[in-house]
Amino acid sequence: MNAAWLPLTTLATSLLAAVAIFILPEEARRLRTSINLVAAVSKIILVTLMIGRVSEGYQDTFSFQIIGGIDFVLRADALGVMFAGLSSLLWLCTTIYAIGYLEGAANRKRFFGFFSLCVASTLGIALAGNLFTFLIFYEMLTLSTYPLVVHSGTAKALAAGRVYLRYTLTAGVVLLLGVVMLYSLTGDHSFASERGLAHYLNDHRGLLTLIFALLVGGLAVKAAMVPLHGWLPRAMVAPAPVSALLHAVAVVKAGAFGILRIIYDLYGIELSVELGVTTALAIAASITIIYGSVRAIAQQELKPRLAYSTISQVSYVVLGVSLFGPFGTIGALAHLLHQGLMKVTLFFCAGNYAEELGIHRIDEMNGAGKRMPLTSLAFTVGAFGMIGLPPIAGFITKWYLGIGAIQGGMYWVVAVLVASSTLNAMYFLPIVHRLWFRPGPAHGQGEWPKEQCLGRLETHGWLLWPAVFTALISLGAGLLAGLPFSPLDWAARVAVGEYLP
Amino acid sequence: MMSLLLWVALIWPLCVAANVVWQAYRTPVVTRRYFTLLWLSASWPALLLAYGGEAQWVIDAWMLGGYWELNALSRPWLAFTALLWTLAAVHARGYFAAEQDKAQAGDDETEQRLVRLALLWPLTFLGNLLLVIAQDIASFYLGFALMTFAAYGLVVHSGSEQARLGAKAYLILAVIGEGMILGGLLWAAGAAQTLSLEGMREGIAEAEQGAAMALLLWLGFGVKAGVIGLHVWLPLAHPVAPAPASAVLSGAMIKAGLLGWVNVLPLGVEGLSPALMQLGNIMLLAGLAAAFGAALYGVWQRHPKAVLAYSSISQMGMLTALVAMGLAAPDVWPLLLPGVVLFAAHHALAKGALFMGTSVSEHMPRWPQPFLFCLLALPGVSLTGALAAGMVSKWGVKSALYDMHHERLIMLLTWAAIGTAALVSVCLWRQWQQRQQGGSHRFQWGAWLVALIAALMTPVWLPLPEGSIAPLPLKEWLGVIWPFPAGVMLVAMSVYLVRNVRAAAPPSGDLWWLYSPFAIRLVSLSHWVAYRCHGVKTACIEASLGGERIVMAWLTRFLSAEGWMRHHSGGLMMAFAVALALLLMWEGLR
Repeated sequence: MNAAWLPLTTLATSLLAAVAIFILPEEARRLRTSINLVAAVSKIILVTLMIGRVSEGYQDTFSFQIIGGIDFVLRADALGVMFAGLSSLLWLCTTIYAIGYLEGAANRKRFFGFFSLCVASTLGIALAGNLFTFLIFYEMLTLSTYPLVVHSGTAKALAAGRVYLRYTLTAGVVLLLGVVMLYSLTGDHSFASERGLAHYLNDHRGLLTLIFALLVGGLAVKAAMVPLHGWLPRAMVAPAPVSALLHAVAVVKAGAFGILRIIYDLYGIELSVELGVTTALAIAASITIIYGSVRAIAQQELKPRLAYSTISQVSYVVLGVSLFGPFGTIGALAHLLHQGLMKVTLFFCAGNYAEELGIHRIDEMNGAGKRMPLTSLAFTVGAFGMIGLPPIAGFITKWYLGIGAIQGGMYWVVAVLVASSTLNAMYFLPIVHRLWFRPGPAHGQGEWPKEQCLGRLETHGWLLWPAVFTALISLGAGLLAGLPFSPLDWAARVAVGEYLP
Repeated sequence: MMSLLLWVALIWPLCVAANVVWQAYRTPVVTRRYFTLLWLSASWPALLLAYGGEAQWVIDAWMLGGYWELNALSRPWLAFTALLWTLAAVHARGYFAAEQDKAQAGDDETEQRLVRLALLWPLTFLGNLLLVIAQDIASFYLGFALMTFAAYGLVVHSGSEQARLGAKAYLILAVIGEGMILGGLLWAAGAAQTLSLEGMREGIAEAEQGAAMALLLWLGFGVKAGVIGLHVWLPLAHPVAPAPASAVLSGAMIKAGLLGWVNVLPLGVEGLSPALMQLGNIMLLAGLAAAFGAALYGVWQRHPKAVLAYSSISQMGMLTALVAMGLAAPDVWPLLLPGVVLFAAHHALAKGALFMGTSVSEHMPRWPQPFLFCLLALPGVSLTGALAAGMVSKWGVKSALYDMHHERLIMLLTWAAIGTAALVSVCLWRQWQQRQQGGSHRFQWGAWLVALIAALMTPVWLPLPEGSIAPLPLKEWLGVIWPFPAGVMLVAMSVYLVRNVRAAAPPSGDLWWLYSPFAIRLVSLSHWVAYRCHGVKTACIEASLGGERIVMAWLTRFLSAEGWMRHHSGGLMMAFAVALALLLMWEGLR
């Protein structure tokens, strides 16, 4: 039984929300908030339904032909549903956060409209059943994110937006070229192709490698792999909820997710190993991991430091894919979720510090733990998770990646992981130390840069609770990783059920 | 019943920590007490658990799969760990009484520090508890990491310049250690495809690069256990930490490193590879070097707690040498293990009592001073092996070594005991010089007295398997006892000889002062490299921007070509038509 309505309706919730928000006038604050929340909650319900369907073994597919040979396909498979689950959960959190964050700010209609569009495209990317559909939503994501990045409208924001567009549109063209070449070679562009590409191997080895390089090269820009990462730290001028969404699920993850799709569904892991592209990818990912961490240490401001940390952490996903083995695959898939949860927590907290106390630089954070204990606690959880300390989710992925590396015989990857952990400790522990152990304005030494008392609690409740919630989930995802339907369990299910021989 | 007790033991410290936070918001500063009975009770359920008998638990939902066990090793370990934590907590109540008064009088900074300490104390204990009972890698690593990072707050408590330095050294080395442990665990667990510590021991014994894995793990846990070269945080952190924190740091937490070795290294496995046995020999040498080197360096320290820190390094050196025997001479290990556990337990309580004693001599109760100092000396005397439990624990180790004919090691250990005697007598002498009357508190000396008694009676209460400890035969009595008077004599003689020499005491933290300029150089070098890289990057961007400008200028020149083409459109049309005609003709001819 094929419930074709399910993926379509799920996609439609965000799209309709976007349309409704654009139609509503700027002043209809209450109605807009309700639409946002109702759409986000109903999307979670729909995705939960899909997860249930997938775990029962159905793959709901919606497709219609656009022109001969080119179809628009939405398919709810295990990997796609995993990403959709992350995006819908974090959409709710970031929406709540954004409502609190933009209280009283201008241009909220534009913001929330494009925000919904952005999430709709993420969901489209997750459920895309072929390269054509993927490409449509991928480009839609690029365009719908631009207004969010330049939301503040300052010269700096506009410059960052220009750089963002330069990078991503060029990458889109490269990706398109790869897709076209692949289509001209095979006449097929479905992810779930039965035949795979293996039988082209003998005659078109070079061409296959070239197409792979084009596809992954195009996706690597969004995944912010070195040296194509330049746009990400600049895009930090965006408001905090946008940065959170950008780093945790939308843009950066879309790139990483695309690479997963290319390797697992399009080429197949065996063919990728046969072509030798996985080793190249592992090296590129390792360089990115180390480079991102090293650059993060040099940053003096909080958000750029987190941005470089993202560059480093997202490449864990790529690294796990390229390890070729059950553990590496599970690690990569689980990290897709874990990194999203932890990073969104960190960005929420960074936003809270900026809003409540006006803190942007790291050396202004002294003693903030006393003034904002819950936010700081959430930040600490996120930071320790990024370092890879148990029991937070980051440890689980680091463990699986390390084991996968050993079993794949790539011992140097363990060295990369350990180095990255140490570097992470080097740039996160000083922040945690400042939060809890240094005396600051809360102890009567100096003043906060720009303190506002936004709420009855340490800050506005809409800002505080999403951060606490995601921190709890990241803790739970690590502590109770053995439970059914935990991120690790689902990643193992995807890996074992679909991609492993 | 045992399961209930386990959950209570694990959750209770969390409840205590939560209560600290709750009180910090609820109770006004003026009436707030930090070290209440509830706070003291954090480690009681765990202590009860240790005496509840053997048990095991498997929890699938827990991280990568939880597997906890109370067995012949973890029961006594938990017993002495929990007992020491309990006593240190009671001591803390007395130790911090003055600070609490100060906080109640309205000193914000003191109040902050006390809340922090009261909060982190039960968390550190929880980590220590978890790592003792854990038999799966993830739980063990969780316990170890929690203990390591939470203990930072205990070290840095006073907030002084030296405390910050000590805590910094502690944290830097801890991070380095965690890195090595993570690397070793991943490597060994990945190669053996296991999640349990037992599986990992077997895996390391069989693996081709087992020695490299074991080396990583030895050094990683060695940061805690004070392996020579990685020990520098001990003498920096101990003198500055509050006395109860030093007691648990030196008694319970550095033993966690030792427990790490026992848990992950393939000790006592027959048929080890030569490389692993070679590692055993290296460990043996490192252990003995630490045992002697720390004694030689430590006797020149001025601060009694620094002297005790060096004594801990020296004692842990002996334990390292004993653990090394498990690799270098595997057949001796089954006999040696109970002795090692007893040695560790006795050292934990004795060192705990000694550290608590340093605070007692700073706030002496109104007792006759000679009597007080005799009591203060007792755990030290026991540590050298000349008294009560110390004698039994020394003999427990030595009899196993005698049975397997390792006379040379016995001799070296006996000589090392001279160093121990010298260290404890120097410590006592420094305490005597720096003694102060007043400010004593009954919890402070009460806990110290109980720890002292517990240390002297270790074999009585330690739940070791039946018959694993041999009583000391009378004829061996002299062989165990003589290092103590020898050490005291040595110190007395040296004091007499150097009484006129005026030289500065060597700084505590020895090698740290070598490492730190080196590290600073390294950092400035990396800054320089980064600066250069930045220059290269800027130049690259400039160059490519320049290239882009040139290409764009070249492209725009084509626009001007448009005018030229418009001007000559007739001629171009003509040429195009001719070319087309020629092409068609050529096509027709073929």
